Amino acid sequence: MTIRLTVNGEERDIAAAPMTPLVDVLRDTLHLTGAKPVCREGFCGACMVLVDAVPTVSCLTPLVLAQGRDVETVEGLTSADSPMPVQAALEEHDAVQCGMCFPGMVVTLTHLTTAGRCEPSREAVKAGLVGNVCRCTGYERIVDAALAVMEDRP
Amino acid sequence: MPGMLPMTAPSVAMPTSLTEALGALADHGPGAVPLAGGTWIMRSPLRREGFAPAYVGLSRVAELGKINVTPDTIEIGAAVTHARLAEALEGLPEVAALAFAAGNSANPAIRNVATLGGNLCARGFAAADLVPALLCLDALVEVAGASATNRVGLADFLMHRDRLLQGSVLTRMILPRCGRPSAHARLPLRKAGDYPVAIVSMAAGIDGSGRIETSRIAVGSVEPVARRWTALEDALAGQPLDPARASDIARSLTTGFSGREAVEAPGWYRVQVLPTLVGRAVAALASQA
Ligand SMILES: Cc1cc2nc3c(=O)[nH]c(=O)nc-3n(C[C@H](O)[C@H](O)[C@H](O)COP(=O)(O)OP(=O)(O)OC[C@H]3O[C@@H](n4cnc5c(N)ncnc54)[C@H](O)[C@@H]3O)c2cc1C
Ligand code: FES
Ligand code: FES
Repeated sequence: MTIRLTVNGEERDIAAAPMTPLVDVLRDTLHLTGAKPVCREGFCGACMVLVDAVPTVSCLTPLVLAQGRDVETVEGLTSADSPMPVQAALEEHDAVQCGMCFPGMVVTLTHLTTAGRCEPSREAVKAGLVGNVCRCTGYERIVDAALAVMEDRP
Repeated sequence: MPGMLPMTAPSVAMPTSLTEALGALADHGPGAVPLAGGTWIMRSPLRREGFAPAYVGLSRVAELGKINVTPDTIEIGAAVTHARLAEALEGLPEVAALAFAAGNSANPAIRNVATLGGNLCARGFAAADLVPALLCLDALVEVAGASATNRVGLADFLMHRDRLLQGSVLTRMILPRCGRPSAHARLPLRKAGDYPVAIVSMAAGIDGSGRIETSRIAVGSVEPVARRWTALEDALAGQPLDPARASDIARSLTTGFSGREAVEAPGWYRVQVLPTLVGRAVAALASQA
């Protein structure tokens, strides 16, 4: 069965079983290894992608439910040459430690820092990050970085 | 052999109407089941259940995604997500318990995908937040099968779930609007993001002097399936909306519960926290009344 979806702006036809987790298609078929299957239970957020602009755990998304939809991964939301505001703020706030959780963090933060999505308060940012677990940082610098992006927003 | 993955990958039909969905369930035989948000089904292999041989997706069936609020009832389609449910019910005091349950369960990404129907139909899922919230709100569910559509009370639905859902689709849930305040008190072990160890949902009619006339109280996550706490409902009739007093009364009535053992919490602990949750629910009701 071939399933068509858009990944980072490109239309893709994927030949895989319909219940294949989206994260496996991204990593094994499309070689986009930013999203990571860490818990495969929907708890950790390391596999987070945007589906039609909404943060979604790709470990629990069967390929068939991504059919015809617009998937954006951390690769499509970031740039090594000209870092996006979330990337720049995380670096500026020295927020990254081991880095394991950050592909997912960046996806959720990209969504949260978009105008109108989240109130610029520590509490609201923390509530928005409930599904992104970080075992290293204690979150405070990540929250600082998110608030900095929201405050700089035009 | 039970628990084994099927030899072939499951097929998935994606119908666009309820009639087609029921047809697809019939065509694929008794093993075929609905697929809503997939957040429970995708973890089947982790529970060692394996996938079903065939799934029938509900996300393109427009009629299952409707929310209809009239002066007398609130009807919510089974494919409505937790996030949409919380948003749609914001500011309606009589369904505060349901709005809170939908807006605080799991985490944001799961709430964007997981549906009402999936929460009510997941078998073996004791910690479902929407179930006690809906029990305290006296919800009816509508189940459509190949030959008939029936409405049943939620408690009956839970008792006969396996039989009722055979080849059928839960289509919507109907809540009477009776203007009583309601509240949902849940206790996760972390501040948020994990399953609640215990849940107390409560709706109460309050008289002119601030006393409880009648109430409906439901307990979730303590036993394998959520149920009403009728002994406490009776005992609280005529009592003031006093959290400490309600909590004390609840403490004397917990003997009927047999808490379920699981890795995250022992059974006794789930029962032990119930009086505190009753106090929190009563405090939330008092703040609305
Ligand atoms: C990380 C995480 C945390 C969670 N935390 C919570 C929590 O705190 N509280 C809570 O309540 N839940 C929690 N959940 C569970 C979540 O709510 C359920 O997984 C979800 O409600 C299932 O909905 P779904 O639409 O994804 O269902 P699916 O996985 O698609 O289906 C679940 C079951 O219901 C059946 N089904 C679905 N819709 C229908 C229908 N309309 N008619 C008949 N059968 C149907 C399916 O066949 C299947 O058996 C959590 C889940 C995750 C992954
Ligand atoms: S791998 Fe998907 S949430 Fe952890
Ligand atoms: S930086 Fe190590 S898990 Fe977040």
